[in-house]
Amino acid sequence: MALARTTGARGGPRALRWAPYLLISPTVLLIAVFLVYPIGSVLYYSLQHYNLTKPWANGFAGLENFREMLFEDPLFWSSLAFTAKWVVVEIGLQLLLGLALALIVNESFIGRGLARSLVFSPWAVSGVLTTGIWILLYNPTTGIVRYLGAPEAAVLGNPDTVFGAVVLTELWRGVPFFAILLLAGLQGIPGELYEAAAVDGAGRVRRFAHVTLPHLRDAIVLATLLRSVWEFNNVDLLYTLTGGGPAQVTTTLPLYVAQRAIDSKDFGYGSALTTAGFLILLFCSLLYLRLSRFGADHKG
Amino acid sequence: MATDVIARRRVPARARAARGGMRGGDRGRIVRLYLPLALYLLFTLIPFYWMIVFALRPAGSTAPVPWPITFEHFETVWNDIGYAVFFRNSVIIGVLSLFLTTAIALMGGYALARFRFRGRTFFMVALLCTQFIPGAMMLIPLFTIFRGLGLINSLWSLVVADTVFNLPLSIILMSGFVAAVPFQVEEAAMVDGCTRRRAFFAVVLPQLRPGLIAVGSFAFIHTWNNFLFALMFISKQDNFTIPVGLSYTIGEYSADFGALAAGGVVAAVPVVCVFAVIQRYLVHGISAGAVKG
Amino acid sequence: MRSISRACTAAAAVLAMSLAATACGDDSGSGEGQAAGGKTTITFWDNNGGVRTPIYQELIKRFEQANPTIHVEYVGIPIASVQQKYDTAVAGGETPDVGGVTTSYLANLTGQGALEPADDWLAKSSLNGKLVENMLASVKQTTPDGKLYLVPATSNLDVVWYQKDKLDAAKVTAPKSWDEFFTAVDKLTKTPDQYGWTIRGGAGAIFQLLAEAYAYSGVNTFFDASGKSTVNDPKNVELVAKIAALYKKNTPEADVTNDFPKMVAQFTSGKVAMMHHNLGSYNDHVKAFGADKVDAFPLPVGLSGKRTVVANPVDGFAVFKNSKNKDAAWKFVDFLLSKESNSYWNQQTGQIPANTDAQGDSWLAERPYLKSAVETLGSPDTVVVSPPYYLPQFSSITKADTEPLFQKVLLGQMKPQEFLDTMAQKLTEAQEEWKKAHS
Repeated sequence: MALARTTGARGGPRALRWAPYLLISPTVLLIAVFLVYPIGSVLYYSLQHYNLTKPWANGFAGLENFREMLFEDPLFWSSLAFTAKWVVVEIGLQLLLGLALALIVNESFIGRGLARSLVFSPWAVSGVLTTGIWILLYNPTTGIVRYLGAPEAAVLGNPDTVFGAVVLTELWRGVPFFAILLLAGLQGIPGELYEAAAVDGAGRVRRFAHVTLPHLRDAIVLATLLRSVWEFNNVDLLYTLTGGGPAQVTTTLPLYVAQRAIDSKDFGYGSALTTAGFLILLFCSLLYLRLSRFGADHKG
Repeated sequence: MATDVIARRRVPARARAARGGMRGGDRGRIVRLYLPLALYLLFTLIPFYWMIVFALRPAGSTAPVPWPITFEHFETVWNDIGYAVFFRNSVIIGVLSLFLTTAIALMGGYALARFRFRGRTFFMVALLCTQFIPGAMMLIPLFTIFRGLGLINSLWSLVVADTVFNLPLSIILMSGFVAAVPFQVEEAAMVDGCTRRRAFFAVVLPQLRPGLIAVGSFAFIHTWNNFLFALMFISKQDNFTIPVGLSYTIGEYSADFGALAAGGVVAAVPVVCVFAVIQRYLVHGISAGAVKG
Repeated sequence: MRSISRACTAAAAVLAMSLAATACGDDSGSGEGQAAGGKTTITFWDNNGGVRTPIYQELIKRFEQANPTIHVEYVGIPIASVQQKYDTAVAGGETPDVGGVTTSYLANLTGQGALEPADDWLAKSSLNGKLVENMLASVKQTTPDGKLYLVPATSNLDVVWYQKDKLDAAKVTAPKSWDEFFTAVDKLTKTPDQYGWTIRGGAGAIFQLLAEAYAYSGVNTFFDASGKSTVNDPKNVELVAKIAALYKKNTPEADVTNDFPKMVAQFTSGKVAMMHHNLGSYNDHVKAFGADKVDAFPLPVGLSGKRTVVANPVDGFAVFKNSKNKDAAWKFVDFLLSKESNSYWNQQTGQIPANTDAQGDSWLAERPYLKSAVETLGSPDTVVVSPPYYLPQFSSITKADTEPLFQKVLLGQMKPQEFLDTMAQKLTEAQEEWKKAHS
């Protein structure tokens, strides 16, 4: 990043002043055309009563939806708490396993290409299909658990085991994301650094801590942030795997939004819930970027 | 250059040989490499195995192996449900969105990584903000926009919508990859007389290859798997995509897990094959040293 | 690298061109409804796309042969997303000409002014007087203005599917009373290899539970004279408690999150002897077991001694107000409900035709369970309880609001009484609110 200041070796400073704007212009254009209005409409409807099942009561609501959400809706709080737990556990494990996996398949060994394409492949499986497969796997009558000596365990039906079961399912699909990204990040590390470290007598662990990790830092910060946001808003898996149950113990905030806004057609209240999620994510993201000192000069 | 790449790959091996005898290394490799890999492969492959079992065994069978083998489920999904068409559509939107996303993300990512410009932080935060609202909440306004553009029922609505939703993530990741390429590489080329653009294409782009592949595959897969947009923006049987086809097999009056699994195999196999081909590019690009020499 | 990028560019160009070609080629037909050659195009949305697609493709082929100037474009919507699809389409102004619609979301669609009433068409149609009378009545009850916004196509009934050999092996015959039923469930349970029953605990649980409760209690209306919901009638509570007591004892533990696919997966794996659903899942069972291995009986007769049936949502066809080709649209609806088409559709899906002429067809008589279902529905001794499908909130009350509560009942975290009291209160309130809004 420090290097950015040294731009302008050629092409002249005047041309370069416009270069970044030119480069981001397609993105800005697309976002302006396709996302500003939809996001704005969600914020707008959060201040409205807008319920297809009660058309006679529609109209301006002020902060009424937010009041109901904060003071009268225990499910808002419980779903928020579950979302936090879900994101932290899921991202923590995905990062750890993904990093380990990236390091493993970065080594050279016979059959590496095959191993790589196999461990990456769950990433290519859609939400509908992931849940379809795992429902079959978990169900005692159709699944594989009955061959593992536990014929009666209905992991998705038991409030004590359901969390572990859904976490495992999402790991299956989510770990490859980190693995691919970190593997790509590993390629940017010049080999000489390892050689130098090895000459200095650094062991595997120290080489990892002093060469690999610092180089992957930005990639890790970004990947955890983006994936956290993604997992926060991830609805499809839980919706079909557990429907938020049993008895609402796996209901995340966005799943609750889907139930209220789409199933119950209360779009105003759903928008208020979404707005709350938006503000929470915005706050957490900024905090995270600040705390991780992302983009700071740590390489020099 | 090829030898350079190979030499680089061997570095860890050489370092290990320098540390100790080969035999200790072998045992270490088993514990460190093969055992965890084998375990992880097991975890990855069991669900796939189960899917294949369901896809290949007759309906009503409860055998743990796909025997007797049958292709009836594949015939159902390919002919009756219409996967032949869905598959074509998914490939088209996946590939187009991949190229659009990667190209635009490369530009945006380069701008974020290489320039400090006014509004940079705002741009970054705005990108993040677009990810904070689930697509399902924005369906109706998006529908209205696409209708205004005359794109409803056209595959372009999916290409554009998926690209727009892929972009923020792709740009931010891409900026990380660009930042990881030392600026001196670019500078050296410019000192040699290249314009900035030529320096970018000649020396930066090749080094970004792993990043491009990672970002491109994310874009492709997001598009490939997007069910909601495909179902909502398309009301034309011949323009539906694979995820819509998958959802046909599981519903209130049909729980055809055989067809779901067969559809899943159809959906997953090409992507796994593409991975198998492109993963070889997920290795060191041309290093800075090679350019200097 | 250079050659790779060149190849990629070429590939992208080819794709873009093929896309442009398909997009343009297809677009001409849709939207305006007028294609080249003076042919009228109408779109038809199937509200349960997938396995039923081939049935409609066949019917459309027949229709187009009989009406060469009309082209019907079929669009299959997955059943789980059909309400969201309709809501989006109505809000976006891109509705089909004809769509499959059921009374469970009819009130929402008419509330948004999306549908065209069918009364005028029916009055002039040759089908007048041929459609099952109480289904027409039940559709008209769904909307405040009492008009017919949906033309019923098929009649359904809750039944208990069972594996014949399992019942034979346990020397159990199809139970007629609830006592017999619970005894049978017990006899058929040999844990962990076989369960007598399976409970639907996940999506769609409440409707089936209510069907069981009212069949047991014999309560004959959903609201009493004062407008209070009868859902928490003591006898209904009794039944829910009895069902909940079966959980894990006579049913798999996984039942608590059972939606239809999971429930059917359990049943067709052969581990569950009996399962409550409706006529519509016939094909799933036949595919898994074979037509001679599976049969069905109606829900047992309850304490009142009279067979009490909770009316299923009526499934049929609606013409949308935005349609530019209403004549062609009605013509298609007319065709779909003709004796021959209606008979074909219902024969394929295993349900009862809404066209009374088609009810006499021989295939019905060949399936004893279907014949008895027709008799049950037609018998004057059968009490039909109509759920308040006219309440736009009915579907959210019986799904998002109360499904988790039933799961709590199964898990022992809530008493059946409290669960039904909560549901009754919500229904009573919704009923009052609706009456106020429409008085």
